[in-house]
Amino acid sequence: MRAARLPVLALAVAAGSATPRLAGAAAGSIRGRVEVTREPPAPQARPSIGELSMPSPRDLPNRRRSVVYLEAAPQGAFEEHEGRAVMDQRHETFVPYVLAITAGTTVDFTNSDRTYHNVFSLSKPRRFDLGRYATGQSKSVRFDRPGVVRVFCEIHSHMSAFILVFAHRFFATTDADGRYRIDNVPPGAYTIVAWNDGEARETRTVRVGEDGGVLEQDFVVR
Amino acid sequence: MRGAALLATALSAIAAAVAAEPPAEPRRFALGVELSAAVGPEDRGFFNYTSYEDSTQRLARLSLTAEWHVAERVALLGEVRDENLGRPRVYALYARVRPWRDRAFDVQAGLIPPVFGAFSRRRYGSDNPLIGYPLAYQYLTSLRSDAVPGTESDLVVTRGSGWLVRYPFGWGNSDAEPGLPLVNALRWDAGIQVHVGSGPLEASAAVTQGTLSSPRVRDDNGGKQVSARVAWKPVVGLVVGVSGARGDYLSREVVDSLPPERRGHYAQQAWGVDLEYSRDRWILRSEAIWSRWQTPMLERSLGALGFTAEGRCKVLPGLYAAARLDHLGFTRIDGPAGRVSWDAPVWRMEAGLGYTPVRHVLAKVAYQHNWRDGGRVRERALLTSQLVVWF
Repeated sequence: MRAARLPVLALAVAAGSATPRLAGAAAGSIRGRVEVTREPPAPQARPSIGELSMPSPRDLPNRRRSVVYLEAAPQGAFEEHEGRAVMDQRHETFVPYVLAITAGTTVDFTNSDRTYHNVFSLSKPRRFDLGRYATGQSKSVRFDRPGVVRVFCEIHSHMSAFILVFAHRFFATTDADGRYRIDNVPPGAYTIVAWNDGEARETRTVRVGEDGGVLEQDFVVR
Repeated sequence: MRGAALLATALSAIAAAVAAEPPAEPRRFALGVELSAAVGPEDRGFFNYTSYEDSTQRLARLSLTAEWHVAERVALLGEVRDENLGRPRVYALYARVRPWRDRAFDVQAGLIPPVFGAFSRRRYGSDNPLIGYPLAYQYLTSLRSDAVPGTESDLVVTRGSGWLVRYPFGWGNSDAEPGLPLVNALRWDAGIQVHVGSGPLEASAAVTQGTLSSPRVRDDNGGKQVSARVAWKPVVGLVVGVSGARGDYLSREVVDSLPPERRGHYAQQAWGVDLEYSRDRWILRSEAIWSRWQTPMLERSLGALGFTAEGRCKVLPGLYAAARLDHLGFTRIDGPAGRVSWDAPVWRMEAGLGYTPVRHVLAKVAYQHNWRDGGRVRERALLTSQLVVWF
């Protein structure tokens, strides 16, 4: 249930003496590394009792990828975005497993498998059901409300993914080494969060100075 | 159970050799739980009964499933079910082995999923868009495996009362007991099966202890059933299946009670065609099953044809509508009052809605109307709701 905090937090605007500002000072960057030491649990799948053959091999989702974001965005950061992103379905796995976007982004759900997939979500920020579609086809969903959207395939119970929809642009997804970088952060005090596999795991407080610069902030997710 | 254990033991030799190889993926263990509860009015016409006590319209079921990949190409699978707080029983328990890494060839042994048709392998609660079963997989005819009708009149007087059958001039068990469905979807058979192919064409074949209408863990007549299915998938979303099965269905006890000149092997033989087409928000399914039972005391075999067609359409995220049409017809015999079908033909229409508020919960409501050309109760409408929770 901790994941449900994201939409509220992402919408919040920092207030008080340390209120960050978008203009009038040099912007800084926050970078670092998220080390995931916990062993990701095996993908959930219902036992294939009724099958007549061994299930086809499938990829395992990369559940070590994390998203780092500012809990309270600077004032004036809530501009409209109309970007586009892709979440592919490949070897019965959503790729990427975690997709972070800004509100207003349209996500293309492509199907690169030779079987049907049926992407759906029952999450409050965006309920949708794309129906069944075959290889080479793609269907799109626009995400307008911030929050965490859990995505599933109706046909393959082991397929799941996360889409994190932010009301601002101050977030980053970690790379293969766990590194992240959030640029153009206005001076001010922020709560920065490392999110991994469905939960906000670690929280830190950082301050970007008036002269900008680069802040280092590492996380260890256990 | 001994037969299944022997088969499983034989398969374990192959499994041991396969398991000796290092696994390419981490070994995994998956558990599944499905709890379903259907609440409906009393079915006074016994249209939905699967035994004398149990109806699919008033059924609480707890199902525990497990799959253990002991190696990359060896898995053990099982399911235990408890219905209406009765005694838990093993529904499935088998080993699955893929002997060759690069060949789509699989062997399963134990209490195995049926290869015949399509419905039996679907999960009842969450894969069935409605609450009732198709008639061919559930409706109890007036034919039994532990008793045989002595004359055509025995069948005429029991028309439309398959939930509790006793033949006035029959042979074998003289107690009143439920009859047989065309295909029993509530129990799986014990035996061994092979499956070949993973592309547009797949084939499966099995040798099992019982028959489609009377699956068995322990053989009761010395005869085995051979069943097979070929599935063709010309395009994504379309599956066409053709099935066949033949096996002795009468128990040794009833055969031994017959006059010596009538003793022998009496088979149930069945053919099936199943079709599934899905696209976008639609799934359309249809099955036709023709079954024929040889009977020792009657001139002709008894035949039955089951036909079902169903459709499901998602109308909103989490909400679908579904409907099914069903018919079960029977061949005709010469009764005291002329030619008549040996059991009363049945028609069923069922339509309903399913709503998924969260991923692991499905709530259904369905209206079902049944008609029967015979029996005490000839028509019955039922409004039933069902809640399914799975993990």
